[in-house]
Amino acid sequence: MLRKFVEQIVGASPISKAIQLSAVFKIAGEHDDDGRDNKEEILAIWADIENNKTILSLVPSVEELGRKPETLLLCQSSLSFLPLLIKSLYSTPGSQIDLDAHGLAEGYGIFTFLYGPVTFGVPEAGGFKFVTYGERIVKVAPTINFKRRGIEQSIVGMKPDEALLLVERSAGNFSASYSTCFATAVEDSLRIETPEAAKWIRAVAIELERIYNHLHAFAREAEAATQSVAANQVHALKERVLRLNAKYFGHRFLFGFNEIGGVKCDLSSREDREELFSSVREIAKEFSEIVDYFLSSRIFLDRLQNTARLSKEDALSLGAVGPVARGSGIDWDDRQSYPIEPYSDIFVPLETSNDGDAMGRMMVRIREVASSTVAIEELLDRLPAGKTKKGAGEKNAEFQSTLSFSATTTTSSLTQSDFSLCRIESPSGDLIQIVKLDKRGRIKSLHIRPPSFANWLSFAKSLEGNVFTDFQFSFESFGLSYADSDR
Amino acid sequence: MKLWVLRGLKKGMLTTKFPKEQPTQDELSRKSFPPTPSKVSDWERGRLICPTGAIQYDSQLAKSEIDLGKCIYCQRCSSAGFEFPETRDSTSALKATFATNGDSAYESDERLLFEKYSKLWKSFKKSFHVLMIDVGSCNACNFEVLNLSNPYYDFNRLGIFFTNSPKHADALIVVGALNKAMVDVLKRTYDNIPSPKLVISVGACSISGGIFQNTESFASPVRKVIPVDVVVPGCPPTPIQILQGLLIATGRIKTTESFVRAPTDIEETSEQEEEEKNEGSSSFKGVSG
Ligand code: SF4
Ligand code: SF4
Repeated sequence: MLRKFVEQIVGASPISKAIQLSAVFKIAGEHDDDGRDNKEEILAIWADIENNKTILSLVPSVEELGRKPETLLLCQSSLSFLPLLIKSLYSTPGSQIDLDAHGLAEGYGIFTFLYGPVTFGVPEAGGFKFVTYGERIVKVAPTINFKRRGIEQSIVGMKPDEALLLVERSAGNFSASYSTCFATAVEDSLRIETPEAAKWIRAVAIELERIYNHLHAFAREAEAATQSVAANQVHALKERVLRLNAKYFGHRFLFGFNEIGGVKCDLSSREDREELFSSVREIAKEFSEIVDYFLSSRIFLDRLQNTARLSKEDALSLGAVGPVARGSGIDWDDRQSYPIEPYSDIFVPLETSNDGDAMGRMMVRIREVASSTVAIEELLDRLPAGKTKKGAGEKNAEFQSTLSFSATTTTSSLTQSDFSLCRIESPSGDLIQIVKLDKRGRIKSLHIRPPSFANWLSFAKSLEGNVFTDFQFSFESFGLSYADSDR
Repeated sequence: MKLWVLRGLKKGMLTTKFPKEQPTQDELSRKSFPPTPSKVSDWERGRLICPTGAIQYDSQLAKSEIDLGKCIYCQRCSSAGFEFPETRDSTSALKATFATNGDSAYESDERLLFEKYSKLWKSFKKSFHVLMIDVGSCNACNFEVLNLSNPYYDFNRLGIFFTNSPKHADALIVVGALNKAMVDVLKRTYDNIPSPKLVISVGACSISGGIFQNTESFASPVRKVIPVDVVVPGCPPTPIQILQGLLIATGRIKTTESFVRAPTDIEETSEQEEEEKNEGSSSFKGVSG
């Protein structure tokens, strides 16, 4: 019953995406086996949808959902601005909400302007509508959707391995997380036995991805603080990680190393693994040296401390995920809280900070570079032997899997589970994908809940009251990607 | 402060020798090499496998070519016998980056670029300001363009700089699959750049739509909206390739046959565009042999 409803919610297009998203979280809650019964809630939501109510009336309140991060996404809060934000997030491509019509842009000295979509401060296509009073930011409404490519819609009917190419290009800098999440979900519903070694290699890729993204975030912060010597040093470290990716995984941004049922790369030789690890360790060591210099620089610290503060309550009620949530003291990390193999086997320390400001988030990132290095060491050290691909070594196997994937899967293997869900801790936080396949093994529906998407509201909230010159620091500390939320 | 200097000295020089010398294997990361047909290549099967339609084959017209502007280097066609050499001498790798098959539309490429911009090349040498615009990318291309300023590539040493404003720009770097919502923004940005201006279209997405060419919000290849001078294929192209594109645009690398200039066939009406799309015509093709 519940599943049926969820399927309808996820699969139906005219329904507001807010609902899909809360549905995702409910399914996640169900999977958590925490004993809560979500059925009634979903029934209520479904009834609301049928009655064609507005988005907002469908968003459950904090009390209804309980203060658990996995059940919160777009919850009502006391913020009067929230409705507008949500509307702007779901607006049609490129449209902006009319702030004036809501009485927000009125008053002596209030000035509104649009920032983006062509700006170097944000090197992606996305905009912000600012309401400012002097230097202070009163409100800010992110305008996404400039580059929505509609990946979820366009892969319907594709074979999973064709779809993988699009899914991993949803967000190029989170591609390992995206492809692993998708492949794991598809393998789950097809009951494909993925070799152990492949799963471990995927985790290595995800951790490498985390390292280079965190380095990037740090370097951009340093750039914004005009510490260009240090910024360039960190950019150089990032370049080294990218080259490691190319060397061991075949692509600088880890495209194409994953496939359904395994991975294409090979880390079976111990020398390779040791070499890879010693390079990673060296990078992490140099990074920590740079960070040490940095933490003694008052100029840098002053810019970060107390900038874009997000309280724990706000983070919870706005549904923040990833380093943003952890920077505000929420101890949630999918690698611990919702581990897939091999994270259930290895130890990854959970890094949090109670500051809640740009500094807190940056500290979380800095420590995560170190913890990812430790994780990579363990992963590479204990990498299970054996093949990395289902059917590897058989002649023509690759071609088989490329061209006639669905033909090799029997229909009977598809009947057990209706949909499958996977959650991965991407560099910016909790990435969720729900995949549903049809009888022939083709994609029936895919739902992605990107990590950046969940963090827009927190970002807008945290900027209130800051000066405009702090915008860059706040933006980089949140690690938001437009490509990610505009998948 | 002293510490930074010491650190810098300790690290030595990281910057690539390109363009004075050929880039090393390390600098051209592995998948920057395009597929090459071999003796066992099965063109028909390749055409079926290729997710972007980069492999074009027609047995009746005896037409077989790989359109590098569409290829996303996914290596699927390796199962149909196409080769992806892991090592390759870098000269040929770079040539392939801007390869053309001698399609008549490109025959006058270099001459056109020369005619249009050669007077400026001298002034571009010291100061060439580029503005990057994202019209719907996956962010990887953005990363690679930004990487141009890191110490490994350091394009400032060649007198090339990023700028934040169209009014200060000499050239526009376009990345991403042109989204319908961005068409107008792109046009307005282009109009705001003072002439003469160069446009460099980076990545399979901006050249042809790449993997996103069938998504609903994809409008058209960038060159159909604004005139493009140099294209840099790849998904994403490596910084070296982008740098090479910039150098070609400013006349710093002399080539005889190794770059493509996309034709400036700007559509006046949407009808024409429709026709174009239906024919599936693509205006520049890659090497085929
Ligand atoms: S590598 Fe290029 S030509 Fe080969 S299948 Fe992929 S997109 Fe097509
Ligand atoms: S060309 Fe490739 S890397 Fe560049 S934006 Fe398109 S999909 Fe991303």
